[in-house]
Parts: sequence; C-alpha cells; structure tokens
Amino acid sequence: MLMPAVTLIGIFILLPMLLTVWLSFQDWSTQTPFSSASFIGLDNFREIFGPTSVGRDFKGALTNTAIYTALSVVLILPLSVAFGLMVYQHDVAGGTALRTVLFSTYMVPMIAVALVWSKLYSPSEGPLNQMLGLIGVGPQPFLSSPRSALISIVFLNVWQQVGYFTVLAIAGLTQIPGSLYEAAKLDGANRFEQFRFITLPLMRRTLLFSAVIAIINAVQVFEPVALITQGGPVGSTNVLTYHIRRVGIERAQGGLGSAMAVMLMLSLIVVVCALFALANRKNQE
Amino acid sequence: MSAGSSSWLPRGRPSGRKALLATLMLLAAVASAFPLVWMVLSSLKTPAESMQVPPVWIPHAPSLESYEKVSGVVNVGRSMWNSLVIASITTAGVLVTSMMAGYAFAKYHFPGRSLLFSVLIATMFLPPIVTLIPLYRLVGSIGLNASLAGIIVPNLANAFGIFLMRQFIAGVPDDLVDAARMDGASELLILFKIVAPSVAPAIAALALFAFVYHWNSYLWPLTVLQGNADAYPIVISLSRLLSYNRGAVNTGLVMAGATLAVLPPLILFVFLQRFFVDSIVGSAIKG
Repeated sequence: MLMPAVTLIGIFILLPMLLTVWLSFQDWSTQTPFSSASFIGLDNFREIFGPTSVGRDFKGALTNTAIYTALSVVLILPLSVAFGLMVYQHDVAGGTALRTVLFSTYMVPMIAVALVWSKLYSPSEGPLNQMLGLIGVGPQPFLSSPRSALISIVFLNVWQQVGYFTVLAIAGLTQIPGSLYEAAKLDGANRFEQFRFITLPLMRRTLLFSAVIAIINAVQVFEPVALITQGGPVGSTNVLTYHIRRVGIERAQGGLGSAMAVMLMLSLIVVVCALFALANRKNQE
Repeated sequence: MSAGSSSWLPRGRPSGRKALLATLMLLAAVASAFPLVWMVLSSLKTPAESMQVPPVWIPHAPSLESYEKVSGVVNVGRSMWNSLVIASITTAGVLVTSMMAGYAFAKYHFPGRSLLFSVLIATMFLPPIVTLIPLYRLVGSIGLNASLAGIIVPNLANAFGIFLMRQFIAGVPDDLVDAARMDGASELLILFKIVAPSVAPAIAALALFAFVYHWNSYLWPLTVLQGNADAYPIVISLSRLLSYNRGAVNTGLVMAGATLAVLPPLILFVFLQRFFVDSIVGSAIKG
C-alpha cells in the first residue's frame, strides 16, 4: 500500500533534497553527471556570502525574498480575517457569494495573473493609474521603478492568494463557540472587546497555520519575476526562486545554486521554528 | 452562529453598521473580480482600442479577432491538449498513490508509522526550488527530460494528498473494513470498493486540487522541457505571447490567451467549489 507513494516521494523529493545538501559542498556543473562533482568544503557558502558579484546578487535576492515574504504575510493575514468575518456574519446577505469571488482568484494560473497585472500596471494604458488619477493621486511607475516594483508584485500575490487564506480563517471562526460571545455580551463587552478578547485569541492556531503556509508560498514567487521584470529594475525584484534557477539551471552552476537552496531551506526552518516558539510562549502567558 | 459575528465593526446604529458592512463587502468583491473582468474585456478590444490613453473600459464593438490571432502565434490546440494530458494523468496518479498511502497510515499499525508519516508530511513544506537542480539532472539521467513524461512522473505522488486522504479515511469505521476482511476481500478491493465511496467528497476535492495545481504549474515544466515547444502546456505558450510583442498593441492577444488558459480551472471551480472549500476547512480543522 505504501510502496508507490513512498518510492515516488523518496526518489523525486527526498533523494533530490539530500543531493541538494551534498551538492552544496561540491564543485559541480549541472550539465555533468553527479559523479563529476568534487568536494570543496564550504567554498560555495563563502562565495555566496562573499564580496564578489555572486555574493552581492545572492544577498540581494535573500533580502528581497525576506521583504517580499514579510509584506505578503503582513497584508494577507489581517485581510483574510477581515474577509473571513465578512463571509461568516449573517447581518448582511451575500457572504457566500463574496467567498466564491475571493476564492476564484486562487484558481487562476500565476502566469495569467502576471500577464493581466502587467497590463493593469501599465503606466499610460493601464486602468490603475487612471483610477488613481480620479482620486487625485499622480501616476505611479509600479513595475518600472526599483522603489515600487517589488511591492507591486506583492500586491498581485496578495490579490491571488487572499481568498485561500480567507477560507482558512472561516474554518477558524467556525470553531469558536457562539456561547462565548453570548457570555461576553452579558458581561457588557462591546464588539471590539469581543473581537480582541475572544475572536483573536481563539484564532491563534489558525493564524499560525496561515502564516506558515503564506511564508512557504511567498518564497516560491517566480512567474511575475520571470515573465515581467527578470529580476529588475536594478535587481529590485530578484527573488530566490528566480535567482537559484538562473544560477543553478541556466548558468549550470549546480554547486553554487545548491548552496543557495540550502540557505533558503535553513532560513525557512529558522523562521517557522521562531513562529512556533512565539506562539507557544504566548499560549503560556 | 450569528452571535458577535460582525464584532469587528464599531458600535453604532444597526442600519448604519449594516450599510458600512455591505459597502466593504461590495468593495472587496469588486477588487477581487476586477482584474479578471478587465482581462476578458481587453481580449475583446481591437488593437487600436488597446492603445488608447486614457484606457477604454468597455470595447465599442467587441471582436473575437484576438482569439483568432492567438492561434497564429502559438499552437493553442496542442498546448491545451498537453495541459489536459499533464493535469489528468498526474491527477489520476496522485489519487491512486494518495488513497493507498492514506489508507495504510489510517488503518494499519506498523513500527515507525508516525516517523514515516512525519517525514513524508515534512516534504509538503519544502519549496520546489530546493530540489529543482538535482531533480532536473536526475530526470535527465533517466531519459525523461524534454518530454511530457518528465513533467508527469516526478509528480505522481505528493504529501498533501496522503495527508488529506489519511485525515478522511481515519474517519471511516474500522468495523466496515474488518467486516470486508472477514468476507475475504483483498486490501485493494476494500480500499477502492468500500473505503473510497465513503470518502468520495474528499477524493473529489483532491482531484480538483491536483488538476488545477498541475494545469497551472509553470516552474517545473519550463525547466524540464528545455524549449521543446511541442510539449508546451498552455501556461508556457501563454508566457511566449508576451515575449512575442511587449507593446500595448498586442494587449488583446495576450488577454485572449490568458482568458483561454484561465477558463478550464475556473469552470471546474465554479461547479465544484463546495468540495474545495469543505476539504480545506476539513484538513485545517482536523490537522
């Protein structure tokens, strides 16, 4: 029963993961067999954190990815809770319809999202600058300026993903017993107090889960960068998935690319562990 | 259910609160739907309209000209077929491997079960880029590069499917399984004839997730195909529409291509969203 799944995952996920770690200590070209790799200790890691252009590009990509991920999580989590409350309430009809509309964007291929948004962001023919003009905001450069390109990609990511996290938030909301709100009302708690002292604390587990998924998803951003910005302008959207693929596949520097992938994996482990530690400490308070 | 459910709104006259809430909900829906509506509208514009500043919102004389032109630039039929083959075969594989492994983890007791399960589940949190470089080499060394098989085979099993199936199969009563064993049914027969029907909604959800995910997938096909245009799925062909012409004059063309690529997953979703939503809720709560 377990054979097919274990064999496939073993060969195509676990084995490559171990190979990535092994290759990060090797001098190896992706165009040659694994057997041609030669051990060079920590040289790959020294190089990707060194002062040369390899190091500068990697550190830039790491920083860009960290900013991109943090912004995505910071925008997605509060929005998903707000939208979740909108879908879950019964004062105004249309909650389920809103959920359908929000979630439908999650079905759209990221390539199509990137294409459509690149046109929405178009400085002259795009509708976004036109709408900003209506409310008195001057035209924005969006993807064409190093100051706004990364955040513009964050926005399209949030647009695509927020529906999925809204459904997760709704799942969390359904777990909160209604009797708690009744009791709070009897004690004279207003709506804000109910949210602050009942909804938020009881949503902690859901929010932690959402944060972990949002982080894992955010570091995978690839299509908008590959398709529209190619990492630019001036490296401002060069994120890790794009950079690692460029180094490890296109330039065939398999050892260097693997060292970068290992650093990504380690960073993720550290961040996720820190999140769990933080959540546990809060629980004990 | 309804108690305190809009607790994030400020206190005020109930009618005022409702109006504010309705406005916010409408804004959220419009913001969410707008890009896709714009995509379809733009696909119906003429090249001249696409270039107009300020932009035209509703095309004066909607034309399907862009859709005809897409087929002249990329092989739409072939690409859609490739996407269908990739997504269908991968989904079928994922269903079979996930049901088998999910059944084993839910109903068998064997030493090291929880350790093996943890190791498999951990791969769910591994971004694909981490394994991309050696996987590319590995698939090449077994002769599967630049082919549809190279896209499909590495994805025939995944941790999310095993996790989802275990969660739901665990809820199937042991008595049901034991009774079938007494009757001498084989384990595979029990799984597909007795267990599967009772977790049918979860299977439907997994099928939809897998299909949409692999229809939309871009990074791995792009890497493994190495420019073999005959095997391009629709998302890769779509990306080539943009490089065909970056100017605004061909916006309609790009939008028509995007509309074509978006339709299959979106149609599946509209008809079957209940399963999607239920399984996310189910796996999040039970997990």
